[in-house]
Amino acid sequence: MTRWPISYPLAAVIALITAAPIAVLVGLVENPSEFFDSRNLDLLVNTLLLMFLTVCGAIIIGVPLAIITAYVRLPFAKLWLVLLAAPLAMPSYLGAFTFYAAFGPGGEIDNLLGISTLSASGLPGATLVMILYTYPFVLLTTRASLLSQDASLINAARTLGLSLPMSLFRIALPRALRGITAGALLSALYTLSDFGTPAFMGLDTFTRVIYVEYNAFGLDQAAMLSLQLLVIVGLVLFLESTIGVTLERPGRSLTLWPQRWQIPVLLAAVAPVILLAIFLPLGIFTLWLLREGSGGFELEYAWNSTYASLLAAAVAVVLALPVAYASIAGRFGRLMDRITYLGFGVPGIVMGTALVYVGLQLPFMYQTLGLLIIAYVLRFLSLAVGSVRSTAEKLDASLNKAARVLGASPAEVFWRVTVPLTLRGMIAGAALVFLEVMRELPATLLLAPTGFETLATYLWRVYEAGYFGRAAIPGLLLVLMSALGLALMLFGERRAEFNVMEDKKS
Amino acid sequence: MQRRSLLKVLAAGGSLGSSLLPASLLAQDGEGTQALSVDELPALEGELTLYLGRGEGGLYENVLEAIQQRNPDFELNIRRGPTASLANAIVAEAGAGLRRADLFWAVDTGAIGLISNEGLARDLPDDLVNQLQDTFRYQNFAPVTGRIRTLPYNTERLTAERIPTDVMAIPDSGLSIGWAPAYASFQSFVTAMRLLEGEQATGEWLQKMGRVAKSYAGELGVVMAVERGEVDMGFANHYYTLRLKSGKPDATVDLAFTNNDAGCLVNASAIVALSEGELPINFIRYLLTREVQSFLATEAYEIPLVNGVAPPQGLPDLSTVSPPDVNLTRLADLRPTLDLMRDVGVL
Repeated sequence: MTRWPISYPLAAVIALITAAPIAVLVGLVENPSEFFDSRNLDLLVNTLLLMFLTVCGAIIIGVPLAIITAYVRLPFAKLWLVLLAAPLAMPSYLGAFTFYAAFGPGGEIDNLLGISTLSASGLPGATLVMILYTYPFVLLTTRASLLSQDASLINAARTLGLSLPMSLFRIALPRALRGITAGALLSALYTLSDFGTPAFMGLDTFTRVIYVEYNAFGLDQAAMLSLQLLVIVGLVLFLESTIGVTLERPGRSLTLWPQRWQIPVLLAAVAPVILLAIFLPLGIFTLWLLREGSGGFELEYAWNSTYASLLAAAVAVVLALPVAYASIAGRFGRLMDRITYLGFGVPGIVMGTALVYVGLQLPFMYQTLGLLIIAYVLRFLSLAVGSVRSTAEKLDASLNKAARVLGASPAEVFWRVTVPLTLRGMIAGAALVFLEVMRELPATLLLAPTGFETLATYLWRVYEAGYFGRAAIPGLLLVLMSALGLALMLFGERRAEFNVMEDKKS
Repeated sequence: MQRRSLLKVLAAGGSLGSSLLPASLLAQDGEGTQALSVDELPALEGELTLYLGRGEGGLYENVLEAIQQRNPDFELNIRRGPTASLANAIVAEAGAGLRRADLFWAVDTGAIGLISNEGLARDLPDDLVNQLQDTFRYQNFAPVTGRIRTLPYNTERLTAERIPTDVMAIPDSGLSIGWAPAYASFQSFVTAMRLLEGEQATGEWLQKMGRVAKSYAGELGVVMAVERGEVDMGFANHYYTLRLKSGKPDATVDLAFTNNDAGCLVNASAIVALSEGELPINFIRYLLTREVQSFLATEAYEIPLVNGVAPPQGLPDLSTVSPPDVNLTRLADLRPTLDLMRDVGVL
């Protein structure tokens, strides 16, 4: 068959548009004479170490949490899921800053409780913070993958005498590998491009050089260094794409009913993550709030954040569909898929400026909400692509063929078979984009309509000025609105359950 | 002055004027003219867009809001962002033939250098320029408020007398020191040292410091580390310490100053007019009024730069510290500073 899949042209257009900011960076590099500074090599080691450790940590925390939130029937299960995903909406620089302020001799924990703690700094400190603010990538993509698995294989294994943990490990997880790696990839790229966290922890990474150049008005140098960073990004993208896929037949997912005594144990195991990632920063901000007082905050910012993020999430998922399907269809599509990821590995502040240049190509839309949404989608499309793809690629094509044989048109097959079966991936993708847009800063600052404030921009303002107490209320609202947005999306998952299950009563 | 009262004064007009200031400060200063009161300014009418490098957590906001309240026919649109990002955006917009900002208020004179090199900054009238203290008069930008380089030190670990008043002697003082070499204000300070002491002496200073100093991400981090006793002293802009102390009066940190060298450099936030016409210029005049300047001094601990307004509490008079005379536009020359800092391995 020489005919190209119909998703190819669409995917090609979308991927090329997401590559536009990268093209801008290439154009900004003026004198490539000092192409590589050998001193940057030391930084490379730190950068790669931080990335590797963060990914390992994000998997170690994210995967068990995914199993718990996907399979275990806990009281208020959705609430736990929503809380566990919320750290993704918290800007990691704020987390790093509060960790620095809370721990160590003379830190707030020491002052308040008299408990002396190790100070959070260096590679361990940076790794801890990065894990806490990136594990939800793994959690959400893995959970979507696990939920789209038919439980009958695990049930069979258990009938044959394999213990539950072993059957999860040997049967569920291998089939969720693509979901896990899709999340791990995002965690890796986020770590590569983040500046605030390593900076607070005193860890010298590649992004710091980029920031120093950028802030010293060396945009061309910053652009060139960002392109160098893309070499690592490319390598990571290649590695991830070598992971194989297992095909799945759709079916009912596993449900585990915990014993009464197991519930508190599970919750106690989950609690430290939420405590550290959400309650610690909010607690520290509240402490400062009591010390300094608040002011200047308007509820409108929370609303702005939420609807802009929801819009961006919706658009991203729609655009992710052709890219994800093209990616499954063949090698060219796979390449288009990889291209959408490039922008996620570029440090935000450089990406923000590149997006200004892209936005200026549409002068009539410059600094409007529409363009801001486009900018968000350009930055975060890959989050949705990865989630949709990792759920969709496991689907056995025979169901589609069966539907066609039974007389359904291709459109009907898409809407009645494909979409319901990939809905979990779409929702996970939307959730990732939604949360990431909630904390997005540089593009919002430069491309939003003038005067459009979000929770993230307000947090940045008060943080920059050193009025940390004022971060308490918007920080809390950030978690709250993220939780609400997620709850709204997770509500959509029910549709998938109805469509897949043969018996509606359970 | 309290926040409320600034709003009230600017909004109502009123006759606050000179009662705010000790008479001695109102004396004429050389060829310069005294800061005006808002009452003496023309009303603003029309619409302006301001790109504001960094937000200052509501205090600049209060000033801008008060100016709008006083001028009901005036509408101000504000975009906030990191100074370098906004400067890059302004250059990009100019390249695309699209001007969105009428004014650019930057925390850093380096950004002003970038804008002015691109030929985007408009000249300011002399009467406006002359309201500023004589070392802060420039043709195409107006410094608004100043910040001085200081040496915050831990009051439980040492006294001010143990800190050298010569910045070049600090690495040999035997004290443990915190610094933030990646921080823009620190780099401006090194630039000033290069201009005042030469490349070689600066390179040696950085090298010696590199051996004894502990690095932090920003200067707020430096001040917090000093307060916590992680280091004896540090290098930081003055306001971090003053703001920390205002929130935590028993903080174990105080300020020391060097004398007449880069260690007590005064740098400034500055504003440029990007579009033609009287409105942006008149807006800048409002920022240089006695009322606004003394509000920023008392509430944000910024150093007023117009003639005849007192510096913030907790800072000595600039005349006793005698900051070095460095042309602010020369501080924009960052490239050699970064190269030097890299060469000696501190960046």
